Amino acid sequence: MIKAEGLIKRYGAKTAVNDISFTVKPGMVTGFLGPNGAGKSTTMRMIVGLDRPTSGSVTVNGKPYAEHAAPLREVGALLDAKAIHTGRSAYNHLLAMGATHGIGKSRVNEVIGLTGLESVAGKRVGGFSLGMGQRLGIAAALLGDPATLILDEPVNGLDPEGVMWVRQLARHLAGEGRTIFLSSHLMSEMALTADHLIVLGRGRIIADAPVAEILAGSTRTAVKLRSPNASQLAQMLQGADVTITSTEPDALTVTGLTAPAIGDAAARAGIALHELTPMSASLEEAYMQLTQDDVEYHAGGAPVAPLTSQEEVAR
Amino acid sequence: MTTLTASSLSRLSAPGIINSEWIKLRTVRSTVWSYAVIILASFGIALLASGTGNYDGSSFPAAEQNNLLLQSSTLGIYFGQLVVGVLGVLVISGEYSTGMIRSTLTAVPKRIPALAAKALVLFLTTFVVGLVASFGSFAIAIALLGPQGISPDFADGSLIGNLVLSALYLALAAVFALGVGTILRSSAGGIAAALGAILLLPTIFQLIAGITQAQWAADVLPYLISNAGVGMYTPTTNPDALGQVQNLIVVLVWVAVSLVGGAVLLKRRDA
Repeated sequence: MIKAEGLIKRYGAKTAVNDISFTVKPGMVTGFLGPNGAGKSTTMRMIVGLDRPTSGSVTVNGKPYAEHAAPLREVGALLDAKAIHTGRSAYNHLLAMGATHGIGKSRVNEVIGLTGLESVAGKRVGGFSLGMGQRLGIAAALLGDPATLILDEPVNGLDPEGVMWVRQLARHLAGEGRTIFLSSHLMSEMALTADHLIVLGRGRIIADAPVAEILAGSTRTAVKLRSPNASQLAQMLQGADVTITSTEPDALTVTGLTAPAIGDAAARAGIALHELTPMSASLEEAYMQLTQDDVEYHAGGAPVAPLTSQEEVAR
Repeated sequence: MTTLTASSLSRLSAPGIINSEWIKLRTVRSTVWSYAVIILASFGIALLASGTGNYDGSSFPAAEQNNLLLQSSTLGIYFGQLVVGVLGVLVISGEYSTGMIRSTLTAVPKRIPALAAKALVLFLTTFVVGLVASFGSFAIAIALLGPQGISPDFADGSLIGNLVLSALYLALAAVFALGVGTILRSSAGGIAAALGAILLLPTIFQLIAGITQAQWAADVLPYLISNAGVGMYTPTTNPDALGQVQNLIVVLVWVAVSLVGGAVLLKRRDA
């Protein structure tokens, strides 16, 4: 169980995490979703006390992480696959980490077996591929047999088999009643692994709901239309339950209204339609829509600006 | 699929953290190399220092014979302080440069115990290496200077004590560098600062004192870490100079300032 209350983290003038509160419950996989730079890693570092919150607090199983008598048994964290000395072998790294808590060789060998690192355990970590580093990070997280697991982008750099393995491991551990908190910037990955989603954008929580609910909210049919009088039509279609976005001057994407309803309305107003296409939004698109205002770094070009946004899609 | 069976007795403990730091220290190659270099270089320097002289020691008083032996045995320590200056920094800056520090501080979230364990393990290991270097060099010096009529006088107990003190200084210099590395967090910056303090400061103040005849610069000289370090294990008859105990205190102040400074920053900063 992880509980964050009013968590804020500022680096100088830049606010990385902006007043977020959430609870990660045991017995399920909670996905932590957001574009790069949204504040996911910062939040996870604050949970294990590596970064100090500017204000607010976060507890694990009722106490701040550092106050536990056996921190590694409370929380296993994969925060950064590179948080390992490159000059040391994987086995010795795990041995040193475990030694702090009196965890010995047998458990080290156990997690090495669990993560499939037997053949490289004696090799220096500097020569590891990204995927092997990731597996070693997960092995270290499992060392203390923790009740809570925090995994920051665990499938980064893993091959398809490894991705599958992480997915099954997360589900299995959650099935044992553990708290699993998993971050990713890939919605598709989350859809397969998580039960619950916390979506973060520019340091704020955009959505905090069961995956099924977010799915339901996002698969509302969107309608794409083209019209020479697009802006006039947009004003006409506005309503409490309607979201309209514009990608080009003469094109609109409307959610909350069916294609026939839009067509009829346009006909009544005498506005010509050049295109009217119903689209079923994918999960990926729904996520893009959730976070588009909150992406820190756009890849060139102007961001897609919504004309109106009466509500957040997920709610 | 998974069986998780870590002992439920396991918890964070001081012996555990010390054991962890000991595993970390001995499982990187820079440690092994550094200590091997110190020992081998000490023996080499002792060979040169005692093998190339040509004494007729029979005319020397016992105290002078002891001093000659001490000097030949501890020249290696003077060189070794540069090596431990690098090693002490690397012990922590290597963790910052690789990201390992985040693993360390996740396992020991109160942080200070991790630094304390690092300091203790580095101190003890370097002390033992220093003893091997100084006593090994001492054996070489006895073997080579003996035929020239120079032999140790153990009735004066200070000879053995001074050899031990030289190893103690080596260990303290390593911990001083660890503090510097903790403050600066970077290998290049840390090594430059630690070696600058050990090697460069005496030269700079000597130059200032020599060129400007400034008394203050000359007054500062004995309080620099490497000068006080040599003073720790070198007996002096000069009544104006610091005594060995005073020199030890000066070195301890250097170590305390660097380590406490590092501890305060380690506790306060985000990792």
